[in-house]
Amino acid sequence: MKKTLVAIAGIALALTVAAPIAAAPYPSKPLEIMVSNKPGSGWDALARAVNVTLEKEKLYPQPMAVTNKEGGGGTVGFIYTLSQAKNDYFILPFSPPLLIKTIDTTLQGSYKDILPLAMLTTDYECVVVKADSPFKNLKELLDALKKDPGTYKFAGGSSPGSMDHLSFLKIAQAYGIDPSRLIYVAFSGGGEAMTTLLGGNVAFLSTDTGTVKGQLEAGTVRVLGISAGVRRPGAFKDVPTVKEAAGVNVTFDVWRGMFAAPGMSKEAQAWWAATFKKMVTTATWKDQLEKNVWSDGYMAQADFAKFLDADYLTFKDIMVKVGLISK
Amino acid sequence: MDYFFHNVALGFGVAGTPINLLLAFVGVFMGTIIGVLPGIGPMTGIALLIPLAFSLSMPPTSAIILMAGIYYGAMYGGSTTSILVNTPGESSSVVTCIDGNRMAKNGRAGPALAAAAIASFIAGTFATIMLMLFGPLIAQIALRFGPPEFFALMVAGLTVVTSLAGRSIVKALLATLFGLAIAMVGIDLQSSVPRFTFGNIRFMDGIEFLVVAIGLFAITEVFVNLVEMSKATKVELIKIKGGLMLTREDWKHFWPSCGRGTISGFFVGGVAGAGAAVASFVAYGLEKKVARRRALLGTGIIEGVTAPEAANNAAAGGSLIHLLCLGIPGSGTTAIMLGALIMLGLQPGPMLFTAQPEFVWGLIASMYIGNVMLLVLNLPLVGMWVKLLDIPQYLLTMFIVLFSFMGVFTANNAVEDLFIMIVFGLIGFGFKKADIPAAPVILGMVLGKMMEEKMRQSLIISDGSIAIFFNRPIACFFMILAFASITNPYWKYIPMGFRALSGRGKKAL
Repeated sequence: MKKTLVAIAGIALALTVAAPIAAAPYPSKPLEIMVSNKPGSGWDALARAVNVTLEKEKLYPQPMAVTNKEGGGGTVGFIYTLSQAKNDYFILPFSPPLLIKTIDTTLQGSYKDILPLAMLTTDYECVVVKADSPFKNLKELLDALKKDPGTYKFAGGSSPGSMDHLSFLKIAQAYGIDPSRLIYVAFSGGGEAMTTLLGGNVAFLSTDTGTVKGQLEAGTVRVLGISAGVRRPGAFKDVPTVKEAAGVNVTFDVWRGMFAAPGMSKEAQAWWAATFKKMVTTATWKDQLEKNVWSDGYMAQADFAKFLDADYLTFKDIMVKVGLISK
Repeated sequence: MDYFFHNVALGFGVAGTPINLLLAFVGVFMGTIIGVLPGIGPMTGIALLIPLAFSLSMPPTSAIILMAGIYYGAMYGGSTTSILVNTPGESSSVVTCIDGNRMAKNGRAGPALAAAAIASFIAGTFATIMLMLFGPLIAQIALRFGPPEFFALMVAGLTVVTSLAGRSIVKALLATLFGLAIAMVGIDLQSSVPRFTFGNIRFMDGIEFLVVAIGLFAITEVFVNLVEMSKATKVELIKIKGGLMLTREDWKHFWPSCGRGTISGFFVGGVAGAGAAVASFVAYGLEKKVARRRALLGTGIIEGVTAPEAANNAAAGGSLIHLLCLGIPGSGTTAIMLGALIMLGLQPGPMLFTAQPEFVWGLIASMYIGNVMLLVLNLPLVGMWVKLLDIPQYLLTMFIVLFSFMGVFTANNAVEDLFIMIVFGLIGFGFKKADIPAAPVILGMVLGKMMEEKMRQSLIISDGSIAIFFNRPIACFFMILAFASITNPYWKYIPMGFRALSGRGKKAL
């Protein structure tokens, strides 16, 4: 008797609350989007863009909150995610540092420990000089470095071994320059690195497109090359790819995607697969991509997982070649 | 000039709409509260607001008016608890504790709070006018501050320690070194190697200096109160002496220190980009060197409140120049504002002034309006805040504990931070017993991390030659300033030495 009553009550509740997606009771609780870095960082921007889109397009029927758990370049957030195993209402953004830190072991775990949901955006790295720099194109810069690698220092917005650093080493190595002889100056943030370039303190800068866009439009800097396979639209339409500019076939994708804690239920995974697929076609999402200077990099769960495995090997290969880790 | 007035009119037209006026008010009001609550800083406040700005589909101008209101509202509010209960509300109000709280204990909390509010108003207005008149020009000066210049500025800043020393310079140096040591904890930027983390991931990003500040000041204060309460037979309340406003004598000393604090704060914290906390320390150090009553600094005089409070507000205004004219955030808080603006569809940068004049001038006009609002809001509040001192000590202590825990936890959602805070509370208690000043620890922490980073960057750029700190004019200037600052107490002996050398000074000796 009691069981029947509960069942009836349950059905009634399902009918009233979950009207739009009556077949799937998920999601029935508030969602936490956790960022493993501080507000204002790249992961934070993605989390908030996803939050805004889900809200504006009414894709997530429950409340959502973005939380920040900063520390150890993502390690604190990663370990916290492991503690959230089987939590269906917890998603988080990550990008290549997830792989890089798996390889250099600072993550204290592997990228395989958390569950990829979908890749959402790609971004690229730029080689940038000041507008009045003697280097007119990437070839000139690389030739100068080949002759004397230590003379022209370059800046980036994060520690050695991070994307700003690795992306240029990859180009240099392909051009036949010994990457271990290049001198990199690390700054805490792309903005600080950009100030240093504009102040004439370093010869060039390797950083992401978001940091560069405003200066490029103002004409204070020249972008010698972008690590994309083909030219980018908008502000970057006149910027040659690394292949065009230097004749070396090097690309460097700064992907960003959403992940979940291990053991997310199949039901929730299916819901997110469908939702992300829908989300990336909405006007709000396209608008967010444009504002943040991201390219659409949507990739569904299975492809994303395969991509991660391949990208892991690519990173491992560069990091061994440039001497950041031993085999 | 026509162009200029046109823009100002445009700005007030944008900022003067009822909705933007309301948002400016909400911003400065919330900012004041955020500033008063220890631990919760403008960074957290603005981060919490970002979703709100979106769900209301705010235009970018309205959103930044709200965010900027919170930013300088917090700079106003930060001093309140420093003065009343020796608990800095913000990292940039640590130095205000020294004289501010002493004034409160002397029964002069009213004038201290009023001086803080008025100094903040003047400095905020000054920074706004500078931004309006010389923004792009100042941005060019800001670019001249590369790593070596910054390092030299930090070295000059470090000499401020002598002004925080109290009775013993050795103890102050000890405290500074302790602060520098804490600043070394975490991943080294240039090599990615973790230092002094003992394998604990929590320490990888270093120890947040607000956690240390709240521990050393608020929690220490709580321990001291507990000990005193257990000894005291009856609880004594602080008697308010005199009026709530500044006396004539106060005003006489207020103006020069306010002027010095504003200008030094604007350049050190704003233009150079060293941040509001460093600016407040430097302003205090400057008072110790040049104020007429410098010998009394530390005993609770108005200059000790006016200068740092003017400096931190001028710095906050100055850091907006970086954001608006260069599109490069000059502080943690402006970094968040930048992120939010991009999401709202605005690309801050060198083009902003021409591409989005209504945004830039609307913001500038709202800064004027916000500063006036803050003054109007804060002066009457002085009477109310002073009443807080009527709360019995045992209740007040409880609230300090409550707000400290809340504030430190919300900053990073980390329970570990609470333990670190308590440990520093105990350390601070030990310091108090040993008569070691706590402010130099914060100075060491604030300067230490930046100093090391900038030194290492400079040396990489110069291939290891320390000449880079001396052969660049701005860097060299600060190095000379640092040297002069340390040696000036001994200058008076120089003529005596010459006389002794020439044999004519025998009588004098």
